[in-house]
Amino acid sequence: MSQQPIQLRDPLKAAFLAWLIPGLGHYYQGRKGKAALYAICILSIYFIGFVLGEGKVVYWRWVSPLNLDKFMLHYPGQFFVGLPALPALIQGTIRYFLPNSNFLWGFMAEPSQNVINGMHARLGSKLVDVGTIYTTAAGLLNVLAIYDAYEGPAYVDEPDGDELVETPASAGAKVEGTV
Amino acid sequence: MDASSNLYWLILPLVVAFSLVYSASRHESWRLIWMRSIRLCLLILGALIGTTAILLLINTQV
Repeated sequence: MSQQPIQLRDPLKAAFLAWLIPGLGHYYQGRKGKAALYAICILSIYFIGFVLGEGKVVYWRWVSPLNLDKFMLHYPGQFFVGLPALPALIQGTIRYFLPNSNFLWGFMAEPSQNVINGMHARLGSKLVDVGTIYTTAAGLLNVLAIYDAYEGPAYVDEPDGDELVETPASAGAKVEGTV
Repeated sequence: MDASSNLYWLILPLVVAFSLVYSASRHESWRLIWMRSIRLCLLILGALIGTTAILLLINTQV
């Protein structure tokens, strides 16, 4: 039977690119169909959530993770979307050192409590929550994509597609089809 | 049915995206990716609709 090796190229670089922009790591590996699928699914979920939350559901503040009242539990999930969520980390860091900074006119900076209250009153708290869930889910989905870029697919698919053979983790390439 | 029930429609894109991404991370063959993602999507929606139906039933009985 014919074999089609899946070239993972440099898995670490692919994983980094997959984190930076969903699908970019797969594009780098030449898996362009998957790159498009990941990019469309993950980025659309992220941006739908971002728009639902009026751009104020993705932000970060530097506090102790043990301070559960103030710790941004959702941002560690959103972080994995990569570049689209990165300005929040930059804003959070700048605000930590320069609390009155207006860097990028406050884009993706932590909104004041007044702004959050106003948003909840205007949009309804559920819609804001949905925005938070969407953006966080997008990041968590990208974790799967990053792992796929690094490690390849979990299963080697038989050519007829009916049986699946579990493969061990490979170092550089995976083979589709059996010998 | 009121305006807040429209929120339920927002589950659909999330479930579709989850099914596609999960299946794509498991398989490389497009046929399998589509097949498995449709199956997973229906499974999740079925579980959600079933749970909602049970909750509605309980709610109207109490």
